[in-house]
Amino acid sequence: MAVACAAISASYPSLHFSPNPSRRPPPPISIFAGSSYVDPLQLRALLGAANHSCHRFPALSPDGRAPLADPDKLRVALAHSSVVVSVFCRFKFVAEYGSGARWDVVSSPSPLDMLLQRAVPASAQDRQLVGFGRAVSDGGLAASIHDVVVIPSLQRRGIGRKIVAQITRILTSRGIYDISALCSENERLFFEACGFGEDRLGSTTMMYTRTPPDYKSNQVVRVAGRLQLLVPPGRELSSAILNSQSETIREE
Amino acid sequence: MHDDDGGDACSADSHRGMLGAGASSGRSPSLPYAVEHTKRSGKVLPLRASFWDSIKSGFLNNNTTQVVEPASNFIEEEDTLAQEIILLESTQSDGTLEQIMFSSAGDVDAYDVQALCDKVGWPRRPLTKIAASLKNSYLVATLHSICRAPGLEENDEKKLIGMARATSDHAFNATIWDVLVDPSYQARFICLNLSDEELVSPLLTGPGYDFLGDMGRGLGKALVEQLIRTLLQRDIGNITLFADNKVVDFYKNLGFEADPEGIKGMFWYPRY
Repeated sequence: MAVACAAISASYPSLHFSPNPSRRPPPPISIFAGSSYVDPLQLRALLGAANHSCHRFPALSPDGRAPLADPDKLRVALAHSSVVVSVFCRFKFVAEYGSGARWDVVSSPSPLDMLLQRAVPASAQDRQLVGFGRAVSDGGLAASIHDVVVIPSLQRRGIGRKIVAQITRILTSRGIYDISALCSENERLFFEACGFGEDRLGSTTMMYTRTPPDYKSNQVVRVAGRLQLLVPPGRELSSAILNSQSETIREE
Repeated sequence: MHDDDGGDACSADSHRGMLGAGASSGRSPSLPYAVEHTKRSGKVLPLRASFWDSIKSGFLNNNTTQVVEPASNFIEEEDTLAQEIILLESTQSDGTLEQIMFSSAGDVDAYDVQALCDKVGWPRRPLTKIAASLKNSYLVATLHSICRAPGLEENDEKKLIGMARATSDHAFNATIWDVLVDPSYQARFICLNLSDEELVSPLLTGPGYDFLGDMGRGLGKALVEQLIRTLLQRDIGNITLFADNKVVDFYKNLGFEADPEGIKGMFWYPRY
């Protein structure tokens, strides 16, 4: 069986790209670039399954779950992301590989089967969105990567790395080399493995988190996840342009 | 504590969200043509507002002047993305009227931006890249100085003296880049009871009181605050920037937090 695996890796180097032999291989997947492949509702389900919020400071429920994203907002975000990468996998492979069995290498299909499956792409109904990532850029100088997600049952198989590699490949082909990614503590190791590091120019990452110390009836805030962000007052300017609805607290 | 490049507020090709205040080289002549004239469609609401309070709080380095005002019943128009506001107005001794105008219309030439970058001491970037980045940024806020000599109503001299831009996915995230204010412009509006020593004080160097820096901070504050205001009104909640060490305090003053909850920005350094 080891010989067969080696044969697979020779023909399909992407399958075993990790040098660590004990890392579990990914199932057969198809990677697409472009927002047209992503259905906002499927994306919302994927984000929910991975418990990933598009808000950096999400309002978590008592059991630690983030609320599901607004599909309309997802649609807008997809339309205005410079790079959108989606990863699909056939339902049966998701079940097979995601079952958590340690012997999935043994139970994987024979090389011939793999060939046939790769030659015949899965139809849209047959496949599930299992991975996603996107980047926002200004088309010339800088880009930032957001929302890189893989469903939990297929994590730790190198799919996330492939997503990031694809995003950076597309960005560099457009001449953008200043690529950033905001990382929480537990995302840091992943991005380090993808070739990201602390800023060599020593910049400090900062986010706007100002909330009014106590809520006064006439201070304008906007809800962002669990934060109520203070809208900087603009003296006469703000009273002239603010929406009268902006005072009501709305979710997402 | 601060890396000293002889006053240059940058190193290498750093351009991430810094307030630029490098050595001034005098005014650059305005060029008769533009590489790419970026223009955004949007209603322009000419509004006059006195932002002296905003700039004064920059002087006093006040932390949170939470000026609260009653919300009006004014319903905002569909797209108030484009606005022009006169921030300051002053009449010189020779009768010249000078105005500082804020605009979020994004109507700015790549050439002007490059000239401004030169003034604050940033290394040059290709013009086409600057033009592309301006065109594709979600928000571009600018400060222009408009000089009108007495009697010559048609011949306004308009000069770019400050800029800030933000990229966004229009829904969740925004990153602020390239916050610049022309340092040579700060001297104009300083109070007249300054000593000569204070007038020639060194440029923005640190947390100590620096008068020439405070004016720039006030103008920069107005720029960034307007960006934040617009982004929040669009319910874009993740507002990020990458600040040079020297300006971290400036952004803290504006409500930004460094590495909130351990969130850090990482950058791609491919190993070939």
